[in-house]
Amino acid sequence: MSLAADSPVHSSSSDDFAALLDAELDIISDASADIQEVAEEEENIDVEEGDYDLKFDRAKRRKVEPYENVADLPSSSSQGSSPNKDECQHPGVYAGMCMKCGIKMDDESGVAFGYIHKNLRLANDEISRLREKDLKKLLHHKKLYLVLDLDHTLLNSTRLVDLTVEEGHLIDQRGALPDTLKRDLFRLGSMQMMTKLRPFVHTFLKSASSMFEMYIYTMGERPYALEMAKLLDPGDVYFNSRIIAQGDCTQRHQKGLDIVLGQESAVLILDDTEAVWKKHKDNLILMERYHFFASSSKHFGFNCKSLSELRSDESESDGALATVLRVLLRIHSLFFDPGRDDNLLDRDVRQALRTVREEVLMGCKVVFSRVFPTNFQAEQHHLWKIAMQLGATCSMELDSSVTHVISLDAGTDKSRWAVQEKKFLVHPRWIEASNYLWKRQPEENFPVASTVALLDYSLK
Amino acid sequence: MFFHIVLERNMQLHPRHFGRDLRDKIVSKLMKDVEGTCSGRHGFIVAITGIESVGKGLIRDGTGFVTFPVKYQCVVFRPFKGEVVEAVVTMVNKMGFFAEAGPVQIFVSNHLIPDDMEFQSGDMPNYTTSDGSVKIQKDSEVRLKIIGTRVDATEIFCIGTIKDDFLGVISDPGATS
Repeated sequence: MSLAADSPVHSSSSDDFAALLDAELDIISDASADIQEVAEEEENIDVEEGDYDLKFDRAKRRKVEPYENVADLPSSSSQGSSPNKDECQHPGVYAGMCMKCGIKMDDESGVAFGYIHKNLRLANDEISRLREKDLKKLLHHKKLYLVLDLDHTLLNSTRLVDLTVEEGHLIDQRGALPDTLKRDLFRLGSMQMMTKLRPFVHTFLKSASSMFEMYIYTMGERPYALEMAKLLDPGDVYFNSRIIAQGDCTQRHQKGLDIVLGQESAVLILDDTEAVWKKHKDNLILMERYHFFASSSKHFGFNCKSLSELRSDESESDGALATVLRVLLRIHSLFFDPGRDDNLLDRDVRQALRTVREEVLMGCKVVFSRVFPTNFQAEQHHLWKIAMQLGATCSMELDSSVTHVISLDAGTDKSRWAVQEKKFLVHPRWIEASNYLWKRQPEENFPVASTVALLDYSLK
Repeated sequence: MFFHIVLERNMQLHPRHFGRDLRDKIVSKLMKDVEGTCSGRHGFIVAITGIESVGKGLIRDGTGFVTFPVKYQCVVFRPFKGEVVEAVVTMVNKMGFFAEAGPVQIFVSNHLIPDDMEFQSGDMPNYTTSDGSVKIQKDSEVRLKIIGTRVDATEIFCIGTIKDDFLGVISDPGATS
């Protein structure tokens, strides 16, 4: 089927086609100007095909040599702009056409919104216009935006080949599994994968949907993201087309809010990976990773048994999603607090998030002992930063106002001082746990072992 | 707009098909090859309605394949700028809505939706007039005017508008004939 053989055939038949059209259109062309336009369009078709290269060339040249026209630019622009004020601003491009005036445009400007339609691009002005308009409407409905990660946040997936022997019961004895597990465990034959939804996720999505407009934002591939969305949202009521996958990101290995049609000041993010949200750390609520399958926990370097092997799971009522839902509720009520007298549009959800976070360890004054390596800038350490974010005051010196000594070793001077002065002596995990659980944790659950004791233990 | 036209195509056939059913083989292969395809010139080939003629075959050197020039009648669909079509809404979002008229994907941006229609999010996103009498949502049937077209190898894309008289939701399903 060579092209050469095809082409004469086409031209002859299209002549017929054109003749037929002409004949057809001549009769009615007087009646309507619109139809004449159609006829013109039809004549253009041949030109379009034949002279395509030439036209394309011309368009290209125009782009490459803008400076040559500089001399007559002022006159042309003054001519162009003054008479028709409503000249199209080309707010966006759909399949190479301006979405407002339908003119053909070949430039690749603006931001691609591939997750809405593979051929859609929007200009920056249009994006900010949409955001502004949308925010007003959303706030009117007392809603904010929520961006959700999939893996390790809402669910956990594994390839079937990576299932361990101990996890075999998930497949072999499916009938014998407890009902709650059966409900949330899916085997996706087409992708050779198995997915477990995080406990509480259904309740979480339902409650969150009343407070937020929700997006899915994953580093996974698009088909995977769509499949997961189907599991999470079988009725297609939560996400609609707001599912963003790897290919949609504008930067490699980074997630950005630039393709989320929501004002940054109203977006909250739930994710288990902080590094991908470099530009939007203030919007991020870090989630404790959900590892159900053995392959997943192994991937992150844990050597203990996975939940699936232990035949257990996160708590439904006290798990990470239940905790974070309470936090979201709190932030939401803080943001929409009727007692506040500032303009709703000027409020910032990041501020609300900060405030809620600072309530966690409010009033604590912590001193670290043997947590940071020597010669390490204490203020730069992540535990120091977390403690500050949680509203604690950090100090290098011991004094009577100190409430907690955080130590890895009960034998240090500071640790001994804490015991003497009846201050709390806690393991650094206390801070991490408080951070993930959004609540000051009972100190007695985080005791510090002395190295001596450890030695004793190992000798036994 | 639909057209009934005659097109021609060179069909290559494997020698194993040579026999009593040669003509049928050519026709069925032709249908498989061209129905559902698109060309910038003619638009979307909807269906083959008849064969005008099958020309003399030409044996290809080396392979034994034979090329037959086939003239066939077919129905093609090609949207035009300015044409008014009826389409089914497939997706509604804050940027506008997408609709399909057969194989043609049409995008109506919110700039081209009447100003009194507002976007409502929720589990069934839609555009609604302030009094709620008109609603565009997924699966609604709309009448729209095409203001721009673009034809790819297998797809046709259009920009549409409903910001004009007599355009918008077709309330009476019987009117879609």
